[in-house]
Amino acid sequence: MAKLRRDPINGRWIIVNVEEPSKPDDFEKEQHIYKGDNCPFCYGHENLTPPEVDAFRKPGAQPNTPGWQVRVVPNKYPALENSGNLDRRAVGIFDMSNGIGDHEVIIDSPNHKATLDELNDHEVEAVVRMYCRRATTLIEDKRFKYILIFKNHGPSAGASLEHEHSQLIALPMVPKNVLDELHGSHHYYNFRGRCVFCDIIFQENQEKERIILENEDFISFCPYISRFPFEIWVMPKKHSPYFCHMEDREKANLSKILKQTLSRLKKILYDPAYNFIIHTSPIDETNKESYHWHIEIMPKLTRVAGFEWGTGFYIVPTPPEVAAKYLREVK
Amino acid sequence: MPELRKDPIIGRWVIIATERAKRPDDFKSPPEGPPEGECPFCEGKESHTPPEIRAVREGHRRPNTPGWKLRVVPSIKPILRIEGKLDRHGQGVYDVMNGIGAHEVIIETPKHIDNISDLDTQQIVHTINCYKERLIDLEKDPRFKYVLVFKNYGWAAGGGRVKHSRSQLIATPVNPKRVKEELAGAHRYFEYHERCVFCDLIKQEMASKERVLIDIDGFIAITPFASRFPFEVWILPKKHSCDFIKLESSDMKDLAEILREVLLKIKKGLGNPPYNYILHTAPFRRFKPGYWRTVDQDYHWHIEIMPKLTRVAGFEWGTGFYICPISPEKAAEFLRGVQI
Repeated sequence: MAKLRRDPINGRWIIVNVEEPSKPDDFEKEQHIYKGDNCPFCYGHENLTPPEVDAFRKPGAQPNTPGWQVRVVPNKYPALENSGNLDRRAVGIFDMSNGIGDHEVIIDSPNHKATLDELNDHEVEAVVRMYCRRATTLIEDKRFKYILIFKNHGPSAGASLEHEHSQLIALPMVPKNVLDELHGSHHYYNFRGRCVFCDIIFQENQEKERIILENEDFISFCPYISRFPFEIWVMPKKHSPYFCHMEDREKANLSKILKQTLSRLKKILYDPAYNFIIHTSPIDETNKESYHWHIEIMPKLTRVAGFEWGTGFYIVPTPPEVAAKYLREVK
Repeated sequence: MPELRKDPIIGRWVIIATERAKRPDDFKSPPEGPPEGECPFCEGKESHTPPEIRAVREGHRRPNTPGWKLRVVPSIKPILRIEGKLDRHGQGVYDVMNGIGAHEVIIETPKHIDNISDLDTQQIVHTINCYKERLIDLEKDPRFKYVLVFKNYGWAAGGGRVKHSRSQLIATPVNPKRVKEELAGAHRYFEYHERCVFCDLIKQEMASKERVLIDIDGFIAITPFASRFPFEVWILPKKHSCDFIKLESSDMKDLAEILREVLLKIKKGLGNPPYNYILHTAPFRRFKPGYWRTVDQDYHWHIEIMPKLTRVAGFEWGTGFYICPISPEKAAEFLRGVQI
C-alpha cells in the first residue's frame, strides 16, 4: 500500500510508493544530443550574447572578450524586462501589470561540456559567489521584491542550450510558491516557537536514513516529503533566512556539497535532467526566525500529468529512504 | 513588453511573454505503443483488464464480455487502493496515512480510437454521464472527500503507451490543496462582492468576446485572461452550479458537443498536441459544522483543458508563476479560425 505524507511547511500531500520502489534503471533516460558548434556561451562568441552585466575575469581583461571564469548576460528571450514602471491596473474583474523584472543568464564556466559537478571546487565556488553577488546587487532596485536563482539542466528540465548555465529572475512581487512556504513556516513557528527547517534537520539527523552527505556547514538529504523521485535538499545547518548572507567558508562548503551531491545524482541516474532552485527569504521580510534558506534539486524522471495538475498531490515512485541509500552508496 | 496577469480566483500570476515563443525547443519522441490487436481496452479484450465496475451495454449482456459502448475498470497500476483504513498519524514533524482511495479508468469507446474528439457526440455523452454516475457512487464511501476526473492525452501529458481513448478518476481521502485554494479564492471573492467570481468572469468574457472560442446556449468556451499555458481553454456552464453531479441529462449533449469542438480545434489547429483536461467541481459536502456554508453560491464547476506545448522548468517550479508565450486573445482568435 502506498503512503500519504504531508509536507509540514505548505500542507501538500505526497503519495509515496513504499511497496515496489522504482529503481534508478526503471526511469526513462535523458537524451543529451551534443550540438557543440557556435555556442554563444563559449570563449570567442561573447558578441553572440547581449553585452555582459557582470563577470569574474583576470584583472585588466576587457568585458565581452574571452578570459572569464563566470559570465552574466541578460537573457536573450527574457520572461520579464528591465525597463519602465510597474503600472498595476485592473481590467474588469482582472488585475494586471507590466512585466517589469530582470532575467539574467549566469554562464557557469567557459567549458562547453563540463556540467557543474565536473568543475573543480574553486570553479563551483566562483558560481556560488556570483549567485550571491548578483542577488545582492539586484535587490538594491526597489522595484524588485524577490530574486529567484535556479538551474535547468538537460532538455527535459527546460534547458534550451547545452552549455551549463544558471538563471536569475528578479520579480516585482513575492511569488505565490514562496509566499506559501513563508506562511507555512511562519505558522509552524507561531505554534511551536521553532523553525520547521531546523526541526527537519534535527529529525533527519536522528533517523539518518535519508541523509546523503554532510560537512561542517551543510547537509544534503532526500526529504521525507519529496515530490519527485531522487529529490534532494541541500540545507545550511545554521539557521539563516538569506542565501546571499553566507560567509566565505560557507560558500566554499556549499560548493563542495553541491558538487559532490550532483556528481552522485549524475552517476546513479545517467546524467538526468534536473532543476535546482534556491529558496531564500525575500530581503525585506521582517520575520527572520521562521524561514531557513536551502536549495531544492528536482530530477525530471517522471511526467507531471492531470492528477498532479488537478490536485497538487505528487506521486513518488521511489521513497526518499530508498533514493538516499542509492545516493549514499554510489561510488 | 511582457505582461503580468493575475488569476482572480486563486491569485496566481502568469507572465504573457510573446517574445519567448521564439525559444528553441524539442520534445522527447514518445515510445511506441502496442499495436491495435494487443490493446487491452479494445472490444474482445475484456479479460485483459480487472473486472469492470460499470459499463454501458445494449440489452442485458453479461459483464466483461463484448457488446459495450463504454466501460469503467479499476486501474491496473492504482495510485491509491480501495481496501483498508486511513490510519492517519504523526511521524516527528510530519503527518502520514495509508494510501486509500479509488483509481478507475473510463474506457470511452470499444474501438481503437486515440483522441476523444474523434468520437461521435453520443459516445462523449456516455462518457460525461459516466463521470456523473461514478461521482454519485463514490460519494457514498465516507472515506473519500474528493474525486478528480481527468484525462492525460499523449505521452508528454502523462498519457500511457496504449493509444485508446480513456479518462481516469481518482478518489482521494483528503481535499487536495489545489482544490482548497480554488474554493478559498472563490469564497473570498464572494464574501466581498456577494457574487460568484466565475459568473462575473463569464459575463465579462461574453461582453468583450475577444477570448470567447465557442458560445452556445448552456456553455461557453474561453481562453482565460490569466492562461498558464498557450491555448489553455476553459469550458464553463453559463448557469451557476457548483457541482457537476447536478448536471442535467438534457445539458449533456451540449457539453459533449462543445468539448468535442474545442478538442477538435486544438487537434487540427495545433497538430494533435498532447493535453490534459481536468474537471473542477465542488468536493463532497457532508455535513460538518462551519463547513460548506457558501460553496453552493460561490463555486462554479468547469473543465480546464491544458495543451502541453511548453515545458515547466525551474522558474515555474520555484515561483508558481507561469510563462505563457502567446496571449489568450491571440490564442482565441487562432482557435476560432480553425475549421472543423
